[in-house]
Amino acid sequence: MSQTANKKDVIIVGTGIAGSLIAKLLSDHVFDAEKGKMIHRADAKQSDSIRELSILMFEAGLEAGVELDSVSSMTNYNEYMRTFFTQEAKVPNSPYPNLKQAPSPNVLDVEPITPPFPDKKGYLVQFGPMPFASDAIRVGGGTTLHWLGTTPRMLPNDFRLTEKYGIEIDKPDATEKAPINWPIDYETLKPYYEMAEFEIGVSGNVSKQEYPISESMEQYYGDYVFPMEEIPQSYMDQKIIDGLAGTSVQLNFENIPLMLVPSPQGRNSTPNPTYGKTKIIKAETAQTGYKLVLDSSEKEAYKALGSVWNPYMGERCEGNASCVPICPVQAKFNALKTLKKALYKINENDNLARNPYLEIKAQCVVYRLSVDQQDKISKIHLRRYISKEKTDFAEEVIDASDSIVILAANAFENPKILLNSTYTVIENGQKVEKTVANRSDQVGRNLMDHMVMLTWGLFPEPVYSYRGPGSTTNISSFRDGNFRSEFSAWISPLDNWGWSWPAFSPGSDLSEFLGEGLFGAELKEALTYRLSRQVLFHFEIEQLPNPNNRVTINNEYMDVLGIPRPVIHYELTDYEKRALEQAKLASDQMFEKLGIKDFTQYNATDSNTVVYNNVRYSYNGAGHIVGTHRMGSTPDDSVTNSYCKSWDHPNLYIVGAGNMTTLGTSNPTLTLSAFTIRSVESILADLETKLKN
Amino acid sequence: MIIINKILNVDDYYFDVFMSISEALTGFSVNELQATGLAETYYTYILENLQAATFVEFLTVSKNVFENSFSEAQLKNAIASEIMADPGLNDLAGKVITIWYLGTWEGAYINDRSYKEGLVWNVMHAHPPGAKQPGYKSWAVKPVNSHS
Repeated sequence: MSQTANKKDVIIVGTGIAGSLIAKLLSDHVFDAEKGKMIHRADAKQSDSIRELSILMFEAGLEAGVELDSVSSMTNYNEYMRTFFTQEAKVPNSPYPNLKQAPSPNVLDVEPITPPFPDKKGYLVQFGPMPFASDAIRVGGGTTLHWLGTTPRMLPNDFRLTEKYGIEIDKPDATEKAPINWPIDYETLKPYYEMAEFEIGVSGNVSKQEYPISESMEQYYGDYVFPMEEIPQSYMDQKIIDGLAGTSVQLNFENIPLMLVPSPQGRNSTPNPTYGKTKIIKAETAQTGYKLVLDSSEKEAYKALGSVWNPYMGERCEGNASCVPICPVQAKFNALKTLKKALYKINENDNLARNPYLEIKAQCVVYRLSVDQQDKISKIHLRRYISKEKTDFAEEVIDASDSIVILAANAFENPKILLNSTYTVIENGQKVEKTVANRSDQVGRNLMDHMVMLTWGLFPEPVYSYRGPGSTTNISSFRDGNFRSEFSAWISPLDNWGWSWPAFSPGSDLSEFLGEGLFGAELKEALTYRLSRQVLFHFEIEQLPNPNNRVTINNEYMDVLGIPRPVIHYELTDYEKRALEQAKLASDQMFEKLGIKDFTQYNATDSNTVVYNNVRYSYNGAGHIVGTHRMGSTPDDSVTNSYCKSWDHPNLYIVGAGNMTTLGTSNPTLTLSAFTIRSVESILADLETKLKN
Repeated sequence: MIIINKILNVDDYYFDVFMSISEALTGFSVNELQATGLAETYYTYILENLQAATFVEFLTVSKNVFENSFSEAQLKNAIASEIMADPGLNDLAGKVITIWYLGTWEGAYINDRSYKEGLVWNVMHAHPPGAKQPGYKSWAVKPVNSHS
């Protein structure tokens, strides 16, 4: 079947989880010209009427990061590991290339801001007044390379904060208030959560999940088990559970019983026999368009998916205790696994063969889209740099007029590209300047993150922290409740890695004891005592959308390729600050019940710190960069519809964490995966229309 | 046959002193320190990154401390008074302890192995994150080496 050599059916910008999921799902489907329908490969018969989809992906990171044959991917990943071992500050971005041509925000660059002067030290230009505290990495596979891997679903009320709790936010022009309900509800997303949990490979125990919601767990999960069995909770978790189970915490508002729940996680354990055979995510023709289903007709048993270079490595978590910044064996899911499934398909001889219809071009920094007379995205402008060392680049323009364009970069980069894409139209004889996808003026707005308030102390007996995945248990009690009309909900993971995050332990403990003149046996004893008792509680506080928290661009601030850097305005409201206060109340009570000696310290010099009711609270970023191209029910108040399709352009999808209307208390990757998978239904329908003509 | 990276000439003479004082400062036996596989690396690293006279003074004082101490208690007191109470030597002693415990010298790792061989992970009954992984489910029970 003839296909035009250069024109692609689909062009995807970004190889992170959103881009990789779409590439994988689309490359699993083909167009049956006879039926005029998109069908799954498994249903396609050898015939002349089958047309493959041609897909082109762009990645801003280095070429080596998207070479996924066994030898190249192992070599490259080992290089990440070697870098990790030698980096002094083992922050989330530390193992990965720090590129001047495609810079990434780094937590090491976060510092207090003195308005009106912006902090320009890192990649982000931060006007504050509060610095945005989270990082991301521009590399093949995206930030899933250093995500923790915790995968709770959102709760039903997270999708309807206005309906349920009456919360409204300002419109961008601040003239009136607007609702913040999602265009979809939990029920709608539920089947796609199951697909995302299959694709990511979630380990967990449905029967042990317990949330403060009015729906029963039967309603919430249905008759369901996770693909793999629960990741064992840490020894420390059990000690804390022993002390807290059955007790409750008194907030200003109400008494809240403590629910300590083993966290579902995107890391491999043992396949759950009840889950059954492996599945495929497959499009079925619906009344209008397509419906994806999790098809169970496969014959093979479900298997954990190991590392990209060797499926027998990383089939199960080995307890490396370094999920962030890097899992050495790739037992933790990352998007390269999904990308590899797009790049390599089983051929007729049951061998894995390179999919010739998918092309990935790395070192390509997309920075602008052009629009034609019909409002279609007609061109993609990018700069392709030559090597890691050099900043020379080639300017390239890709014809996209016959393609579906999918922006799948992170929530800084997607709005940055859109805001940099202006075009002129003639309306009523007048020239009008427009910005791509920005009819609602919501592009770049509602930037959100969880505020991670940490509290730490010494447990009365050794709990042997610093072992196991970063977190294996969470306190779900504060994830929903009537208090949400007054202050943020939060989730409280118990962190397994001692005080390493807030206090730079164990290095700081050693310096402290050296400062006291300890050496020899006494030093050893002091360290043993201190380090085996360290516990860290963690309060991930939901931030509401706020139109003034935003990514913009400004010609004054460019990167070395001459592409605008994200310019950030960001602040907290009393809704979040009050939650810091309430969370600290909860922490104090839990510490007291457990006999934990509190070592928490918040200082005026911390980069993210606020005083609320005369008390100081500091927090960190969660790495949950969300909300800059929100989905919604109408073109007036959102950038995309619930299928992540731009309201303004017939061939543009914008996918990723940026679509989230609100943040909830879940780590966002699972939810963004679920609605990204759902967006494929709409993309398939668009492809059908396009290919029929 | 195991070939040990030879420490040459005069430096050779002090290597044993370095190991003995390291033992006294860290609380780990010479055998445990040798088991990191990095003893010679650290010794030569310090030689190269410090004014020779400073290191020699530290080692000379250390040698005297050993020669004049006949019990554990005497040794401990001598280290406290001769080394830890001296501002210059105290600083160097702290650096020597840190190189063994964390694998760093003035904040930087010596090489890509020194992080993994940091002794601090042993005292907390854990392992360096990202290396020496103890296996599935190990984190759900008390560490096998916790003696308690």
